[in-house]
Amino acid sequence: MSANTVRNLTASAAELHLTPEHIAATALATLPAIGPQRLRLLLALLGAVDAWRTVRGELAASDRIAALLAQENFAHIWRQAATDDVLRRVEAALRDHHISVVLATDPSYPSALRGDHAAPAVLFARGNLATFTQRRAGVIGTRAASAAGRHFARGLGRDLSRNGVAVVSGLARGIDAAAHHGVIDAFESGSSGPIAVVATGLDVVYPREHTKLWSAVAECGVIISESPPGCGPDAFRFPLRNRILAAASEVLVVVESRATGGSMITVEQALSRSITVMAVPGAPQSESSVGSNRLISQGAATVCDATDVLVALGLNHQRHITPSETRVPPSADEHVVLAGLSGGPLTFEQLVERLRLPIAEVALRLGRLEAHGWVVANAGWWEALVAR
Amino acid sequence: MFASVRSTTLLGVVGRCVDVEVHVGVGLPGFTIVGQPDEVCRESRDRVRAAFLSRGFAWPNRRITVNLAPSGERKGGSGLDLAIAVAVLIADEQLPPDVAQKYAFVAELGLDGSLRGVVGAAPLVGAVRERCVVVAAANAPAALAAGAHQVVVASDLAHVVGCLRGDQQWQICNEPVALDPDDHIPDLADVRGQPVARLALEVAAAGAHHMLLVGPPGAGKSMLARRLPSILPPLSQDQALSCTMVHSAAHVPMPASGRVSHAPFRSPHHSISLVGLIGGGTAAMRPGEISLASEGVLFLDELGEFAPSVLDALRQPLEDGVVHVSRARTSLSFPARFLLVAAANPCPCGVGTPGACVCDDAARSKYLRRFSGPLLDRFDLRVSVGLPKVDDLVDGVDGESSATVAQRVVAARQVALSRGGGTNASIAVDQLDVVAPLAPGARAVLRRELEVGRLSGRGLHRVRRVARTIADLDGAPDVVSEAHVATALRLRTSLAALSGGHR
Repeated sequence: MSANTVRNLTASAAELHLTPEHIAATALATLPAIGPQRLRLLLALLGAVDAWRTVRGELAASDRIAALLAQENFAHIWRQAATDDVLRRVEAALRDHHISVVLATDPSYPSALRGDHAAPAVLFARGNLATFTQRRAGVIGTRAASAAGRHFARGLGRDLSRNGVAVVSGLARGIDAAAHHGVIDAFESGSSGPIAVVATGLDVVYPREHTKLWSAVAECGVIISESPPGCGPDAFRFPLRNRILAAASEVLVVVESRATGGSMITVEQALSRSITVMAVPGAPQSESSVGSNRLISQGAATVCDATDVLVALGLNHQRHITPSETRVPPSADEHVVLAGLSGGPLTFEQLVERLRLPIAEVALRLGRLEAHGWVVANAGWWEALVAR
Repeated sequence: MFASVRSTTLLGVVGRCVDVEVHVGVGLPGFTIVGQPDEVCRESRDRVRAAFLSRGFAWPNRRITVNLAPSGERKGGSGLDLAIAVAVLIADEQLPPDVAQKYAFVAELGLDGSLRGVVGAAPLVGAVRERCVVVAAANAPAALAAGAHQVVVASDLAHVVGCLRGDQQWQICNEPVALDPDDHIPDLADVRGQPVARLALEVAAAGAHHMLLVGPPGAGKSMLARRLPSILPPLSQDQALSCTMVHSAAHVPMPASGRVSHAPFRSPHHSISLVGLIGGGTAAMRPGEISLASEGVLFLDELGEFAPSVLDALRQPLEDGVVHVSRARTSLSFPARFLLVAAANPCPCGVGTPGACVCDDAARSKYLRRFSGPLLDRFDLRVSVGLPKVDDLVDGVDGESSATVAQRVVAARQVALSRGGGTNASIAVDQLDVVAPLAPGARAVLRRELEVGRLSGRGLHRVRRVARTIADLDGAPDVVSEAHVATALRLRTSLAALSGGHR
């Protein structure tokens, strides 16, 4: 009965190449507390459709599967959850949001992940999976990034993309989003598309303000996730996502990171896979660069521009186009203000006190610098966007 | 048989004339008060009778009816006691019939017949200021402040009767008590360093711009706000009178002179209720904190902790300068021309520095959601206040004194008043081009702010008004320059979170 349902549903899903295996695998991924390892075991031993039927109790379970089902009352919980309705719902969600399903056994499964010891058994993707055939550099960092850090990440994303390197990132706030914004800004034929590895289901945009960015990334490159459609931003999904992000990168660049946080988890995952970790040096007093600076002191290579990454990837860095500075150069007066901000973010008042200039004069220069893109204000704090 | 004596009751912050009519006639002995008295008013029956007996007056053992005319309105308070007693004496023919014609009586009686002060003496007396007003000694300054034609004081009921008969002399008050010194208002000289916050304070005072101070705990937000009254222009006669009326009606402790002579500063705790802030109440309509702060400063510390419904109720009075409170029985208007100053932390952890703040996104956005956009929009000035520098605190010299700053503020206000008749904060939109024309550079700056979406149409008008004030403080040129607009924009920090701004 269940297998028939699977077959009937699939007739309408031909254009996404959804086979009964794909739909059953998606349905299995939605089971409560299944996790990547159990899912991989089920799919490897039985295949998706048979695993689904076994979970439903329609097929007898082998010894290993029976042992798995006996844990924590999974046999009962999963049988309750595994209804025909689930199959219908996941297929509708996949179709509505144009999400394709890739099993580890499919030829389209990214080869970058295929050899990984913790590779997800099922991947969901929006966009073009062929993006994975490009050279890939992970660009990650903290969500609470400084404006200067975001500015750098954006420039790095743009330059890497122009030089044919796909930027792998997590679509989080801060550095992640800035890096992909950079890729999207510069995207044209010949440049590399972005690869986003996200924690939520691909129909759940998180954070919500990145809705536009998600569509842009899916259009130019690909977004992947191991979470089936409908999964929200649960805290446990993010560290799991980070291992895929690390595995999908050939080198990993940390633009800004605090002493702890998601970026450092990704770094650990990358190091355990012998993936080169690089970091962007930050001001010593900057709280948001403590982690990345520590990486450098521990031996990570520094990244001061895209060339460093291209060299690490063994690419001909001669192709690196030095972007011309398009901003109007600051006047001598404005330079004084810019120099005042070099030590990190300041409030307007702190800047006035440091420069010992009349308030109106500082306000005027700051306004002009901001109009030309040299400084940026953020909730009362002013930061300089120097270098590049 | 019958007598009518003038007194007053309080309705909100305004006194209303009441004619106390007493009829003493045949019938079973009794004492009835009609004309919608409230509980306190009805109890005056017992106070008046006890006072009569204590002072040796005969209590008429006949049917006594007291009518408080006009009978359509509710009367409250104990200020009618003395008028009732005098009216009973006249109706019982213990006093000649026309003896009280040119008087009004505003005092409570003690059981021993002594005269006591009442709540709201200033507005009460204000309603009968053309007469000779008899009050308790405690209320004499307030009565004079209310501008009464003549104020006389008596010690007790026997004294009042003696004076009315002509046997004794009133104690006449006509010397207004000297105004209070203003040395209790904190001085701006205490603020060391913090040049931008000081400028913002000066601009707020000169242009009557509402101000939001954002900064970590210990930055001196409250300290700055408390010094704002010291640089506000002195109250005019009318403003002082209106403040005195409101404060008297709300029973706020008054200075010895009985009148409010300096801009009031009100700082309600954030647990305040809607009625406490706006005014109202069931028993008597009481003015709220916004009315007590009228002509002065309303300071809301920890703006994020106030109930959102309470804050949103501020929006209408902020626009209109007056608040209309309607209840089932009555509908009243209270003055509400206050200068709103609020203080808030930049985020739940209070640090706010990019990179050093430890708040997660959820906590921060939850905190920011507490400030409604429309309310934030009402603040012309939104200023980041940083922690004062240690050098300034320990070794720094005192800042400019309030007196010096106040001179500039007064001059700037004069310029503004001579131009349009109002403060700069109230310049009408269609007057902006006339009153505050922009230099080409200033126009370009504002155009860009609008183009990148940092400024709304309303925000644009507010920035232009603030820029006008800054120009007025800077020698009052006719045209607002780019520097003025740039400064106005720097005094308008966005509270928005760290997201966005990917440049």
